[in-house]
Parts: sequence; C-alpha cells; structure tokens
Amino acid sequence: MAASAVKGVRGWSSLPLVARRAVLRLPGVTQVRWSRYGPEYRDPKIDKEYYHKPVAELTEEEKYDQELKKTQLIKAAPAMKTSSVFEDPVISKFTNMMMKGGNKVLARSLMTQTLEAVKRKQFEKYHAASAEEQATIERNPYTIFHQALKNCEPVIGLVPILKGGHFYQVPVPLADRRRRFLAMKWMITECRENKHRRTLMPEKLSHELLEAFHNQGPVVKKKQDMHKMAEANRALAHYRWW
Amino acid sequence: MLKGIRRLISRVHKVDPGCFLHTGTQAPQSIAAHLDNQVPLESHRAISRTNESDPVKTFGEACLMVRKPALELLHYLKNTNFAYPAVRYLVYGEKGTGKTLSLCHVIHFCAKQDWLILHIPDGKNFLSFLQPAKDSKLIKVQEKYVWNKRESTEKGSPLGEVVEQGITRVKNATDAVGIVLKELKRQSSLGIFRLLVAVDGVNALWGRTTLKREDKSLIAPEELALIHNLRKMVKNDWHGGAIVLTLSQTGSVFKPRRAYLPQELLGKEGFDALDPFIPMLVSNYTPKEFESCLQYYLENNWLQHEKAHTEDGKKELLFLSNANPWQLERLCAYL
Repeated sequence: MAASAVKGVRGWSSLPLVARRAVLRLPGVTQVRWSRYGPEYRDPKIDKEYYHKPVAELTEEEKYDQELKKTQLIKAAPAMKTSSVFEDPVISKFTNMMMKGGNKVLARSLMTQTLEAVKRKQFEKYHAASAEEQATIERNPYTIFHQALKNCEPVIGLVPILKGGHFYQVPVPLADRRRRFLAMKWMITECRENKHRRTLMPEKLSHELLEAFHNQGPVVKKKQDMHKMAEANRALAHYRWW
Repeated sequence: MLKGIRRLISRVHKVDPGCFLHTGTQAPQSIAAHLDNQVPLESHRAISRTNESDPVKTFGEACLMVRKPALELLHYLKNTNFAYPAVRYLVYGEKGTGKTLSLCHVIHFCAKQDWLILHIPDGKNFLSFLQPAKDSKLIKVQEKYVWNKRESTEKGSPLGEVVEQGITRVKNATDAVGIVLKELKRQSSLGIFRLLVAVDGVNALWGRTTLKREDKSLIAPEELALIHNLRKMVKNDWHGGAIVLTLSQTGSVFKPRRAYLPQELLGKEGFDALDPFIPMLVSNYTPKEFESCLQYYLENNWLQHEKAHTEDGKKELLFLSNANPWQLERLCAYL
C-alpha cells in the first residue's frame, strides 16, 4: 500500500518498479541523479517555427507526433529555456558554469559584459586597422566565443585507471560533451585564478577569449599540454578496455 | 574645476567657435540616427551619462538623434526675446529616455550660435565648465574684489585673473566661482553676450545631501557655497539668455526609483524656486525613432548577431526594451 502511494505521489504510471530500473541498468553503475519524472514523460519541444507551421505543411511523422501529444505526458520546460531568437545553448551552459551560489543575475550580467567587451575591443582594432586587415578582423562576439571554445577543446584526455595497485594515466578518446565541458571549465578556472585582484571578470574573460580565438594564451596551452601528456603515455593505451 | 576654466579661457584663441573643450569626466555613449539630418558632434566627448563608453572609439564618430523635445526647445530658443528675463525650460522624463542628450543637443546648437555656455554636467558633483565664445577675453570684472590683506582683483581686469586666483588660493576657490557666476549674469544682462545656463540633474540642488560634518550632523544643501551660487544662477532675475535644466533620478538620494515628475524630484522648495518654468517631457522612442535607431546600429555594424537583422529579432528587441533608449542601448551592446 505504501509503495503504491509513493508511486502515485511521484507521478509514476502503473509500470512496475523492476521494468523502470531495467531501462537504466549498467554493470557497476548506480544512478546518482534522480528525476521527478518517470520514463514515459517526453521532453518539451521549444521551437516557435515548429508550432507556427500551418497544418497542411506537416509531414506524416509530424502529424503522428501531434496526435501522440494528446495522450502523452510532457515534462515542464525549464525556466531558462526560451523561444527567443537570441538564445544560445553554449552561452547558457557557460553562464551556468560561471554561476556561484545560484546568482544567475550576476552570472548573466558578467556574460553580457564580457560579450560587450569583446565587441568593443574588436571594433577598436577594426578602426585602427588598414583596409586589407579590416576584412580579416572578426567583430561578432558570438563567433569569437564559439571558435575560442572550440580551439580549447582537447581531442584526447587522460583517465586514471587502477591496475596492479597503481593508478596509471591512460590516454582515452573523449566524448563531445566531455570536451566542451573541459574547455569551458579550463576557461573559467583560468579567469578566476590567474588574474590580478583588481581586474574584473569580464575584462579578463574577454582577453582570454580573444587569445584563444587566435590559438594563443594559457587555455590553449593547457589543451596542448594535455595532448603532450597523452602522447607521452601512449604505451599505457592498452589499459583501456572500452 | 577652476583649472578647467582657466585652460579653456587661455586656449580660446586656438579654438574654433562652437567647439567643446570639456576636460573629461566620463565619456558618453551617444545613440544616434537621424530623422531629418545628422548632427555630428566630433569633438563632443565628456558629458557625464549613465554609460561610460566612448562612441568615438567604437564608431569613429559621435551622433545624436534629432528628436521632438530637442527640436521644440531649439525653436523656443531661436525665438527668445532677450529683453525679457531668462526663461527656464525643465526637461523631465522617465529614466533613460534621453533628457541629458536633449540637453547636449541644445548646448551644441547654442555653441554654434556663439552663446556663452555654462554647462554643469552632473548636478551631484558640480563639475562645471565654461565654454567661452571667441571674445571671452573681453569679459571684464566690474568690481574690485579683495581676497585678503595682500591680494585683490582690480576693477576691469579680465575674468581669467579671478579664475587664476581661485586656483592658486584653494581657500577662496568657491568664492572665485561665485564671483565668476555673478559677473557672467550681470554682463549677459548688459547684452555683451548671450548666456546659456545648462544644468543636468538640477534636483540635486534642492535635495538632501549625504555629507556630514565632523560631529555626524547632516549638512543642508543651502550651506554649501557652490550650491548657493548655482541656485542664484538658476533664478530668472537676469536677461539676455536662457536656462535649460534637466531632472535626473539616477543620482538623487532619498527619492523613490520610479519618481520622474518635477514635483516629486524637486520637492516643494525646489519647485517653488524654479516656478515658473516650461516643462518638456521626453518619452520613449516612437516606432519611427526606434526603427531609425536600429537602422543606425545596423549601418555601423554594431548589431553583430545574425538574428538581429530579422523581423523577429527586431520585434523581440522592441519587446525587451519597451522602446526605452537606455534599455535598447544596453541590449544592443552585447548582441
């Protein structure tokens, strides 16, 4: 009785508990993050274009999708995801990583100030440059941001693997999301730690982003160090079993 | 501040008429597009505003948008009768609608017309600069002023000497400012030149101060000599010019954030002192002004985001900023 009450409270459907766990079971892996939603909940689709399409233009799959939605349960959209044309998932992720103590207002203002600083610096350079150079100077802060983070992503990473009582740093290919995370993490740590007490975050971050855009600077150096270490530990690659 | 005046007066022969020589406080970010004609202000740099970025660095130029309140003011100024006492115009409006820049537009116009301009960019900080006309050397002191036992300024000496005195003897600096202002008022009434008194954030003259004496008791604004002198300037007991004032909530203390009407920001005392005046309301952008502002940004490639060029992007900007110039500027800064 208690078990079924719990199930009802959590919004789970009448699927048995065993079936739910079987979906996510991996050997030696226990689930850490739980979601209030059961597996039958679908992710919301936040896209103005999709919903503004008139009925005639929908393909077969989309019509089926629409029909299905009438009976399916959908999760609530997260608060920070908007249908704004100016929204960028990479920027949102970076802002969340910069946030401390849940102070999203501060993190977002730092992000916007950084983008503004990058833009102003590039405009200054543009006006100081000759006509040929002006064509090469990139002034869009968003392209600079994306390119800089791409330049900071490592291709191969190191993972500590326990063998014979010792931990060896084994070179391992990284997933896309792990690479993006590492690039952002390195960028933020670099800007927090290695700056003068009185420099503000937007100024330092804009400087680092511009350097990374040109493949220079400490974050790109860290990525290259990581690559060198992986190259040095090539012999240990056999310790990887996946 | 007196050093600024001296530098201006001594450099006057090198300066073209109608050109500003403010020794910078903060630099503005002027928003611009032209409805009818562009008003370039290449040398217009140091007007204190909420923003601290320099448009000359980013765009290579500094432009103002020509808007209705400014045009109205210019029309009135063109038709002033200099025999009557100076008319007071009070520019008011909500935060970020363009009061300071309307003031700047008027000052630019008057400078081109060779008026003598007393511009106080920030009512709170009283950094006042004098923009003299070509013949400022002709402004002579008309009384004898005795500073102390040994120094005095004779009748008929140029105004620059009073300023020098104020700079060298810091104790008499406020008196020097008072004398400069008094002489200017008197002599503009004589018709030698036309004086424009432009004060930004005039509600600071009548508000409460946060300054304290050594025994922690608050100082009332009347007791400060600078404020006293400025209040005398703003009184319309002289003729031969005009007074243009702006309210500003951003610097004021002890006033609610939403207050923008003259009665609320000036208080009873200020309102009575400034009464009668001609109020000019500055409001948010009309659709046409908004469009032209966005066009200006697009022409200068300030809006770098790809989606900002689209209709959806523009609608979103309109929604987010509510056609408020300051808000729009902040949004476009990072887009």
